[in-house]
Amino acid sequence: MITTENLGKSFPLGGWFARRPLHAVRDVSISVARGETLGLVGESGSGKSTVGRLMLGLMPATTGRVMFEGQDLATTGAAALRTLRRRLQLVFQDPYASLDPRRAIGAQIADALVIHRLMDKAGRIERVADLLEQVGLAPEHAARYPHQFSGGQRQRIGIARALASGPDFLVADEPVSALDVSVQAQVLALLASLRAQLGLAMLFISHDLPVVRHLCDRVAVMYLGRIMEEGPVREVFANPIHPYTRALLSAAPSLHPERRRARLLLQGDPPSPADPPSGCVFRTRCPIAGPDCATTIPPLTGTSHRVACLKA
Amino acid sequence: MKRLPWTAIAITALIALLALLAPWLGLPNPVTMDVPNRLAGPTAAHWLGQDEFGRDVLTRLIWGARVSLSVAASAAALACVIGTALGITGGYIRGVAEILTLRAIDVLLCFPPLLLALLVVTLLGPGAATLIPVLALVYLPGFTRVAYAGVLTARSQDYVEAMRVLGAGSPRIMLRTILPNIGGPILVQFSLAMAAAVVLESGLSFLGLGVVPPAPSWGLMIAAARATMAQAPLLLLWPCLALTLTVLVMNALCDGLRDAVDPHPTYRPAHRRVLEAIAPGLLPTPKAVLDLRHLTVEIQTQAGPIRPVRDVSLQVFPGETLAIVGESGSGKSVTSLAITGLLPGAARVAQGAAFLDGTDLLRLPEDSLRTLRGDKIAMVFQDPGSSLNPVHRIGAQIAEAIQAHRPVSDTAARSEAIALLRRVGLPDPESRARAYPHELSGGQRQRVMIAIAIANQPRLLIADEPTTALDVTIQAQVLDLLNDLKTERGLALLFITHALPVVAEIADRVAVMYAGEIVETGPTAAVFLTPHHPYTQALLRSAPDEEGPPPEGIQGVVPSPGALPAGCTFAPRCPRAIAACTAAPPALRASGDARLTRCIRWNEP
Repeated sequence: MITTENLGKSFPLGGWFARRPLHAVRDVSISVARGETLGLVGESGSGKSTVGRLMLGLMPATTGRVMFEGQDLATTGAAALRTLRRRLQLVFQDPYASLDPRRAIGAQIADALVIHRLMDKAGRIERVADLLEQVGLAPEHAARYPHQFSGGQRQRIGIARALASGPDFLVADEPVSALDVSVQAQVLALLASLRAQLGLAMLFISHDLPVVRHLCDRVAVMYLGRIMEEGPVREVFANPIHPYTRALLSAAPSLHPERRRARLLLQGDPPSPADPPSGCVFRTRCPIAGPDCATTIPPLTGTSHRVACLKA
Repeated sequence: MKRLPWTAIAITALIALLALLAPWLGLPNPVTMDVPNRLAGPTAAHWLGQDEFGRDVLTRLIWGARVSLSVAASAAALACVIGTALGITGGYIRGVAEILTLRAIDVLLCFPPLLLALLVVTLLGPGAATLIPVLALVYLPGFTRVAYAGVLTARSQDYVEAMRVLGAGSPRIMLRTILPNIGGPILVQFSLAMAAAVVLESGLSFLGLGVVPPAPSWGLMIAAARATMAQAPLLLLWPCLALTLTVLVMNALCDGLRDAVDPHPTYRPAHRRVLEAIAPGLLPTPKAVLDLRHLTVEIQTQAGPIRPVRDVSLQVFPGETLAIVGESGSGKSVTSLAITGLLPGAARVAQGAAFLDGTDLLRLPEDSLRTLRGDKIAMVFQDPGSSLNPVHRIGAQIAEAIQAHRPVSDTAARSEAIALLRRVGLPDPESRARAYPHELSGGQRQRVMIAIAIANQPRLLIADEPTTALDVTIQAQVLDLLNDLKTERGLALLFITHALPVVAEIADRVAVMYAGEIVETGPTAAVFLTPHHPYTQALLRSAPDEEGPPPEGIQGVVPSPGALPAGCTFAPRCPRAIAACTAAPPALRASGDARLTRCIRWNEP
């Protein structure tokens, strides 16, 4: 349903005179089918949130394009894009910052219906009540304000707001990382059941590998703006090929340390995205990097399980 | 919404009402002269006396309020509307709009306000109609800057982006989303501008550039009274008094409104010291570095005292890591703050003792506690960015931490700092010591924080969510470092976290907290393998693991410390709760080898 082709985004860096580009995202080609969830995994600065914003058309791509049902978002006019917004929605990370503290939540959920002139007032009230029930809240909660809810409840409200206009594609940007673990599981279960019920295509951005393992169908691992490995969740977790994916999986703390795979501890910190290494961006921390890694940018090869590594 | 400043509102309303109703109060005509009785003192007919033309002073004061206040109010309103519109447009749209509005306003700000007003009045001629735009112009920049600053903060908020995601246009976002959220400061700015405009109007009228005689205004009255000051000094008093009263009331109104609009609850500061009443026979456990006994923390709120931490006891031994794990609101951070004496002003330790090598920290005077912090007790916090001073080099900050507790020379402290940086694994420590915090990554800053923490060979290291802000590959490095340091230096490590997998990786023993109490404690491996308390069981089921079944949530929410359920605090969410659970609070009882559980049914099938 939604596809990116060699998507790239750079931001200008520095002052008026010494301007140089910061490549936040480079050469990302992924696709999400109807009813499918793609997990986008990476550490801070890997560009995963930027990919999400680009796929929603919230910022223009520098290179490449985003195709939604065969339609290029970049060539869609501003008015048409606003109409398209109905079908592309976002769930935010921070349930405290993403709701307007001064307005009742019912009005905020109904915003999309008002903006797109989808229903009359009575219809809106009914739709808000339905949505609240769908996310596990009561219709009478519509008149309350955000501060009267807990973090988990606010995240449910954020999900209801995103679902109001009946979207087809949902980007969930770290939707549970600000929540307590017991609440996190509730919200994940809600997302999973809504996805099945509504046939949503979902891009699930996260740094939490076990969460991705449980919720997603496929997973793409990003490092410094590039995709390192992409494939079905089971396959990537059981048989990680890229050295970065392996390091990431082995670094994640586990409830059962004795069962955890042998730890592959990465040395040092990720380089700055403003000044990435030549060739393979991971080579400075890679345990198996060779001299050719510095000169050649490894292409993402493979069919269902794709890997960008010369040594794999 | 909190209490409104009713006194100030009432006086403002009274003044406004007097001014509004002036024509119907049965007062003499404010411009009718009575020259024979000029400068007469107060009489029954003229309560405040008569002025230099024999006009009634009280009448002129009230009619003057009408002119002065209406000019000030309209000017402030005009400035408010235009200024806020400019500020919001400039701040939201940025680019050219920002240059046009904000820079123009900045130029306006460069003129002294009185000079600016004089210039415009000279161009347009005096009179009340001129005064309004003049005063509006003077107070315009204030509104624009306040609105602009508010928009810059608000526009980066997720809820503004959420409106864009929904497809809302810019005008809608500016009016419906941003304006209500910056309304508070603008309201206060309005009251301030109004008070200032009353004064400036009087000033301009006094200079003969404002209201034209014989129309009454406070400024004109002051000007006229000055001429006859020697004969009738009282005439000067009345308008000045009216002016002072109005400005004072306006300022009180501003302050009150600002407080009423601020959503943060206000707490009364509490006495910091612990009550000396303490259970007899309380002696520290030998060998434990930290021995915390029956800690209860109390916070005074408007609804009465709440106890976010109740009866928490724990010990940490040398070379051991004890993890306190709990969700938000469990009281884990409050416990660590109480131990280090860093509780916020509203909270106080109501009961308990915290022995560090036999010394009770909770009863130490603040000076002695300060010398202990960073020496025998060290702390590492979640956000390494905000814990380091951004304007000092990191080497100097470590050296400063050393010299604060030990008399060593600058060069010795410096070389020690470099050795510490090498120990915590910072690459190229000699040159990195000269770096500023912003030049380091998050993981490196946390290493620097750890270097500062271990600089003086502490006995106890308290780490409050030290890896929560870090990426997973960096988290693994930092956990390994903390573990090595613990073994190598025989540190007692108190590790506070919400992440169960992290506990499994690092802790020898674990204390699970729920709603301010320890519900289960014991060796980590045993607790994780066979959790006894239903909360621990549910918590472990809710944590996603790579293998195993999908995570299950816990129904319901953590009770707030102001509304704790009777009996067991977990009973309302517990699948195993029975009537006896809500009857009395369960005690923390032994439940096997070195384990304690706060559940009456832990060993029932």
